[in-house]
Amino acid sequence: MSEIASNDYLECLLKSWSIKPTESQSWLNQLRSQAIDRVSAQKLPTKRDEEWRFTDISSLTHLPYRPSQSECALQASDIEHLYLNEAENSLVFVDGHYSPELSKIVDQAALVIGNLPEFLSTHSATLECHLGQYATFENNVFSALNTAFLRDAALILVPKNVSVTRPIHLLFIATQQEVTSYPRCLLIGETGSNVTIIEDYVALQDATYITNSVTEISLAANAHARHIRVQRENTHAFHFANCAVSLAHASHYQSASISLGSHISRYNLDVRLLDEAAECIIDGLTLISDRQLADTHTCIDHVKPSGTSHQQHKCIVDDSAHAVFNGKIIVRPHAQRTNSSQSSRNLLLSSAAQIDTKPQLEIFADDVKCAHGATVGQLEQEEIFYLESRGLSELAARNLLTYAFGAEIISRIPVTSLRQQLEQAVLNQTQGK
Amino acid sequence: MSAVLQSLVNQPYKHGFVTEIESDIAPKGLNEDTIRLISAKKNEPEWLLSFRLKAYQKWLTMTEPDWQNVQYPKIDFQAISYYSAPKPKKKLASMDEVDPELLRTFEKLGVPMHERAALAGVAVDVIFDSVSVATTYKQKLAEVGIIFCSISEAVHNHPELIQKYLGSVVPVGDNYFAALNSAVFTDGSFCFIPKGVKCPMDLSTYFRINTESSGQFERTLIVAEEGASVSYLEGCTAPKFDTNQLHAAVVELIALDDADIKYSTVQNWYAGDENGVGGIYNFVTKRGLAKGRNSRISWTQVETGSAITWKYPSCILRGDNSVGEFYSVAVTNNYQQADTGTKMIHLGKNTRSTIVSKGISAGHSNSSYRGLVRIAPTADGARNYSQCDSMLIGDQCGAHTFPYIQVRNNSAKVEHEASTSKIGEDQLFYFSQRGIDAEEAVSMIINGFCKDVFQQLPMEFAVEATKLLSFKLEGSVG
Repeated sequence: MSEIASNDYLECLLKSWSIKPTESQSWLNQLRSQAIDRVSAQKLPTKRDEEWRFTDISSLTHLPYRPSQSECALQASDIEHLYLNEAENSLVFVDGHYSPELSKIVDQAALVIGNLPEFLSTHSATLECHLGQYATFENNVFSALNTAFLRDAALILVPKNVSVTRPIHLLFIATQQEVTSYPRCLLIGETGSNVTIIEDYVALQDATYITNSVTEISLAANAHARHIRVQRENTHAFHFANCAVSLAHASHYQSASISLGSHISRYNLDVRLLDEAAECIIDGLTLISDRQLADTHTCIDHVKPSGTSHQQHKCIVDDSAHAVFNGKIIVRPHAQRTNSSQSSRNLLLSSAAQIDTKPQLEIFADDVKCAHGATVGQLEQEEIFYLESRGLSELAARNLLTYAFGAEIISRIPVTSLRQQLEQAVLNQTQGK
Repeated sequence: MSAVLQSLVNQPYKHGFVTEIESDIAPKGLNEDTIRLISAKKNEPEWLLSFRLKAYQKWLTMTEPDWQNVQYPKIDFQAISYYSAPKPKKKLASMDEVDPELLRTFEKLGVPMHERAALAGVAVDVIFDSVSVATTYKQKLAEVGIIFCSISEAVHNHPELIQKYLGSVVPVGDNYFAALNSAVFTDGSFCFIPKGVKCPMDLSTYFRINTESSGQFERTLIVAEEGASVSYLEGCTAPKFDTNQLHAAVVELIALDDADIKYSTVQNWYAGDENGVGGIYNFVTKRGLAKGRNSRISWTQVETGSAITWKYPSCILRGDNSVGEFYSVAVTNNYQQADTGTKMIHLGKNTRSTIVSKGISAGHSNSSYRGLVRIAPTADGARNYSQCDSMLIGDQCGAHTFPYIQVRNNSAKVEHEASTSKIGEDQLFYFSQRGIDAEEAVSMIINGFCKDVFQQLPMEFAVEATKLLSFKLEGSVG
């Protein structure tokens, strides 16, 4: 890809943003214009960039760069099957635009939940402290683009010591073809709060489109958050996502990210443990086939002592698909008594499938416990033989073992209906063969 | 200590041996004329000159890499003199003239008496007839058909072998420093083990007595023909001081069917003083090609010296059933930096590789393991096991791991493990209640940590390496 093409592409993207939103909040306008400057200053990453060396996104520049339109023809009945029973609160975004008709909000009184513009006047000071402060766009062109185009966003603010018992569903639906949408989420968990959110990307059409999402999560002292992220875009989609998490003293973040869809997907998860005794548990599952490419980059940054992080990432790769995992763990100087573990396990189901994994440790403190492991392999012949000896066909044995491999991650998702859907997705993937 | 030793090696000449050093130094700077001059001085055939020039042209088009996890001021390649005739070293008349610090170092390392003299630069023939020893060894090797000589000698005596193999594993344009080396290398070693011959001795024994400096752009080429085997040891546990700051060597190994090459390195070059001033940049390209079926290439390294160590001894496993091994201990102290590891490129069927890397950082140093395991689509049934452990001593140092795993074949099995630890208070307490003091305890713990690698070293070096490590880390614990 030539440099000119990529610069043109970004320029055209910026120009395409005809409806320049201007808010009364000058800080928000300023944030957008900073982001626009950063977009102009950068280029689309190529395989020559270390962070993108396994993920070739040059085909992106051949796509049209229309922004999505805000009109929405969907009725609640069209998406009935996408709602989750457990979730009382659902925020629905169609092609990145908030849809009040499709959304269901019941907990209005207990917490701040809704579309960002509704709260700009009432919660301006709080929003200014958080929005755009974690997902930095200095060196990230996708995050910069999202911020430049920032308008609608899912906002959840859980007040002090409030515990939200039922999960909150953030549903992002793609309906338009050949457009780019910019979903955005901001979760602020105040001291001692507790919440579960489900970030869900789905498509109701079968053509190419681009999703460029940014999620920011900030947890104050002793706050708990569970973050379940399901990416089930169609297989022609391009999905670029950045998620930045900031953890204060003794806060607890637990995430599960499941990547099933997209032609090319890239998920960056940055977790910063900014104060002592913060804890995070990060699970990931990538399940891809055909010519899909799924790239997950995570960075867990232990800034202060006594932090804990546990990460487990699994990839199941079939056909000519290509999975990339890069997991970085940083232990800063003086972040003593850090306890960190990471495992990357990869299952190759076909001879043309590809895996690139790089578990990376950068440690600057001596009193720490850090370990990582990575394995790549296929299903064990002995295990298949064992199941065959119990009367299962070879196909059934393979399916069962593959399912079990993925189920370890899925079984930890606390939302029953979603778990069942995902289990079904894993079964469909393995049984199609 | 280091300053004393530095001044020792830099002492002006005063003991009466003749030398014409000045006349044989090429002017500083690098251009085609310098290369022609080197080639002419060494009386090289035309093909070697064109090899050098090709490398130089490549080098001009390349840019210095910047992805490494080490920092150093930019090197001015025009400020280096690329050729000087081997300097006859100043000889001391007896052991009494040797700096007592150096003798203490030998004492601690347990270097045998007669070798201490040789290493300290005492005229060895006074005590030990190195020439006759060397000749005996050479005769013994020649009897079985092994060629072991300097690269320059080999260029004249065995041009067909050099022409066939030089640059076949590390091509002239492989990387920035390899290209530079290919253009200006002055000397190095060549070793050829013919078909079916098992080398009767560790080539280390011979090499160790001859630690004459072979220059900053060293070139080593080892070829083992069908069924041959050899064990080669480079370097020495004793500290080596050199005024050249940049060392860009190239080592190529070629193993044909059923051949076995074991290459061990013990490196203890000048690491700079405790404030990180001075020290050698050790930027080396080492690569082995396991070309034949059932061939085996094994790298073992103990890296304790140099201000910066930046190298990845690699194996290209082309032959079916070939085996690659990498065992490494890298110790950094004070302001030393190390970015080292290996590449295992699996191309043949049923190829196997093992990586065991142990990094120990102390003081303000940084040590990185960077490794690549690539399983090509053709490598059915390939198997890799990697283990890289780091130990940090003190809270000012850093340990980093960058393992790249690229798998393109689903019948392959790849495993990677890494851990980080420190020497625990309770471990030290256990030792002390058994009457072992802290210094000794640390030495034993580190020994246990590095055991898997030391086991791969030839016996006598394993003993010395153990002592070397505790010596290097003296005073950094407790």
